[in-house]
Amino acid sequence: MNDRTKPSSLLTTGISRRGALKGLGAAAALGTAPGFVRYAQSQSSEPIRIGFQAHRTGIGAAYGRWYERTTAAAIKRINDAGGINGRPVEIITEDDGTDAARGAEVVEKFANQHKTDIVYGTLFSHVVVGSAPAAGELKMPYYVVSEGYHVASGKMNRYVLQPGITDVRAQCRSVAPWITSNVGKKITMIYPDYAFGHDHRDFFGPAAAEQGGEVIAQIPIPPTESSFTRYLPQIPSDTDVIYHVMVGPAVLTFVKELGEFYGGSGPKLFGFIDSLEAVDINSPGLEFLEGSHFWEGMPRYLQDGASEHEKAYREAVGLDENGASINDAKDVSTAAHMFGCWETLYIIKAAMEAAGYRGPEDRAKLVEATEAMTEFPEGAEHPQGAKVFDGKVHQVFGSQNISVVENGRLNVVHRTSIEDGRYEPEADYTTQPL
Amino acid sequence: MASERFARWSRGALAGARWTIALLALMPDQAFAHAADRGHVLLLPTGHYLVGGAAAVILTFILLVVAPLPALDRLARQRLPLGSVPVWPRLWGSAACLLLVCALVAAGFLGSRDPLSNPLPLMVWTVFWVGLTLVQGVTGNFWWWIDPWYAPWRLLAAISGWKDGFVVLPVWLGHWPAVVLFFAFAWFELIYPAPDDPERLAVALIGYFLTNLAAMLVFGHEQWSRRGECLSVFMRMIARLGVMEAGPTADARRSVALCLPGAKLVNAEPLPPSGTLFLLLALGSVSFDGLMRTFFWLGLFGINPLEFPGRSAVMGLGTFGLVATFVVLALGFFSAVGLGERLASAAGNMLPAAGALVWSIIPISMAYHFSHYLAALVVNGQYALAALSDPLMNGVDLFGTAGLHVQAGVLMGAERAWMLWNLQAGAIIGGHVLAVLVAHTIAFRLHGSTRAAAYSQAPLAVLMVAYTVFGLWLLSSPTGA
Repeated sequence: MNDRTKPSSLLTTGISRRGALKGLGAAAALGTAPGFVRYAQSQSSEPIRIGFQAHRTGIGAAYGRWYERTTAAAIKRINDAGGINGRPVEIITEDDGTDAARGAEVVEKFANQHKTDIVYGTLFSHVVVGSAPAAGELKMPYYVVSEGYHVASGKMNRYVLQPGITDVRAQCRSVAPWITSNVGKKITMIYPDYAFGHDHRDFFGPAAAEQGGEVIAQIPIPPTESSFTRYLPQIPSDTDVIYHVMVGPAVLTFVKELGEFYGGSGPKLFGFIDSLEAVDINSPGLEFLEGSHFWEGMPRYLQDGASEHEKAYREAVGLDENGASINDAKDVSTAAHMFGCWETLYIIKAAMEAAGYRGPEDRAKLVEATEAMTEFPEGAEHPQGAKVFDGKVHQVFGSQNISVVENGRLNVVHRTSIEDGRYEPEADYTTQPL
Repeated sequence: MASERFARWSRGALAGARWTIALLALMPDQAFAHAADRGHVLLLPTGHYLVGGAAAVILTFILLVVAPLPALDRLARQRLPLGSVPVWPRLWGSAACLLLVCALVAAGFLGSRDPLSNPLPLMVWTVFWVGLTLVQGVTGNFWWWIDPWYAPWRLLAAISGWKDGFVVLPVWLGHWPAVVLFFAFAWFELIYPAPDDPERLAVALIGYFLTNLAAMLVFGHEQWSRRGECLSVFMRMIARLGVMEAGPTADARRSVALCLPGAKLVNAEPLPPSGTLFLLLALGSVSFDGLMRTFFWLGLFGINPLEFPGRSAVMGLGTFGLVATFVVLALGFFSAVGLGERLASAAGNMLPAAGALVWSIIPISMAYHFSHYLAALVVNGQYALAALSDPLMNGVDLFGTAGLHVQAGVLMGAERAWMLWNLQAGAIIGGHVLAVLVAHTIAFRLHGSTRAAAYSQAPLAVLMVAYTVFGLWLLSSPTGA
């Protein structure tokens, strides 16, 4: 199958999908391509250069693939519509190996060698945390798509922003009211015993209590565990809901053993799709999930009431109705997270236009322009839905989806309000010097 | 100015690093170590395969105790001559390969920074290291025809007159240069944080190529590619598993004959201890490549596999693991051979026996190579096709594959995981069964009797059973890194 709509799309549509993700040295070729005459009227036809810090190898590679596809689709659409401030956008991809130390190196390389305007696209928290000091030191705007609470916590710096995806704290808060009113009030949490699981433990428990729910048991599972039968008897018998956020290769085993433990009955289940991103929900071993609920950032399966914008986004990225690649039905996407790339790139575009961004000398202005943003209405640029941005904590807030597994598909049953996820900000980056 | 900037940056980076460490310890983190295809394998009855694999290897050994070894020996000597071919294409093959290497190195510097879009890392790690090794193992010494050092060496040797070098590579040096270079190669592949980075790989490749070209001028191409340049040494050794045998003829052509898989191993000259260690290092490095990703290994050292920090954080541990795997494997092998020689005869001489018997681990090495890199070959092979068509990522489409949609799903889902697992398990078990056959035939030649061969092979058979189980366990364990 071919990604290109036409063999000569570089010439006819301005930029091909593969061509959207350029390597070093490609700028000159782009600038002289006939498709770029439309940029000639702008002050400078030099491309805007976005450094894409990508997990192309290492533990994050499966996510990296879909972040790359979403990025390519968004850039193609942005360029087809005239680029940013009348200039074409060029993506320079550097692999960080999903490695925190290399992450910092990559940011430095973007700043000093590739001289990109900004750095964008990081998913894994440890890479964000490892790279943030370099971004701050080099005064390089660093737009992450990571979902971690690290940005909003105030522990990063003024140059680190997360405007395109909500954080885990907001996600936990958002789903608490619905769980306590619709699934049950007595909740047992099963989570991997490290930072990711601890986030859920620390953020969901208090949020559930505010809604009249009660976490009656917390069962941390050591991360290297691959069989769970000895932990399952710890689940109290009066549990209404099991809140599970297991991740890693043993998730399928976990679900299977949970099903065997309860033998078809038992408490209701609520999980985060993080556990099963890029995994077919109809895989053997997952049968016990039928009827259970999941958080989804953006629905994997095309919903009946999907907006035109959502459909257009799915088509641009290349998703079929089941959330897999249109070219490859087994290649299930990371749909719940990757929309963040698309939306972040449109925020970068909007902020650059608001700041009248011309080049690296305007990076501080770009950060200020991003901080000044408050609302992103639902639309082609924000197909996941409307959002509110808090410039003080550099974090966006939005609606979450709660889906039920029905006949081997995830169907959205509830969409939380933006307010459901809001919490008292704990930081104010705008007081830091630029 | 520059030094001032650097000093400021260093201070900042240091402060940043301290902050990073502090934050890493404190920060909540999300995990995306997803329930990939190993998750499906965890649901398969892999334990049965482990038992079945061990049983197959044990049964092979038992059958060999009673089998007519002279017949097996004769089988190994069977050849089906196919005629001869001229050798002139070698020079052109080498020149073409060198040209390709140069073009790839240029792409490494000038092309995309993305290791999955730049053809250099894909061609080196996937097409050459995985693909060509498999071709060599199945067919024969294809590398001989395309060795990129041959043509430039011929040219330089003709100009300088150093046709056989000007220094004799000392015999006592054995294969040690190759051992050292292979360790460096394996370290770069498995431990170094960024072996896929196109620019760094290009620099490494230039350094490796020129160093070895110089050594070939000094010691002669034939000698250095037999005992020094580790890729040629490895390729030549692995080719002994293949079904084609080639050799020089009186009229300066190359005779070609067909043989049974592994038959050439039985006839191979015994290796000196350094050569034996080279082969053990090659097998050890692929084994460690599997081991270092397992929950078991990471758990031993307190590394959370669900939030693997990245290679930079485990370089010391990785180096230790690579060396330790090699040492344990070598100790196991030499102990098994030594014990076997004692059981077979009072005057058993361990080192020559080890040098002959070590050829029997080639099928295992090949099986590990196939099993561990099959997935990478299938997926990254597609990226390679796309990257070759548009090597500098400037929109050209040389072979019509530049826009290829990489079918990552080819290995996804339970069904594919089952297929992949069966292919891997089949290769591991098959490789070990062939290894037992080869070792037994070699032992028969060493000792001259079926009975002595059986005694000498009992300890090695135990090792092979253990390695079968280990190999299957590696492929069925949860992995995180």
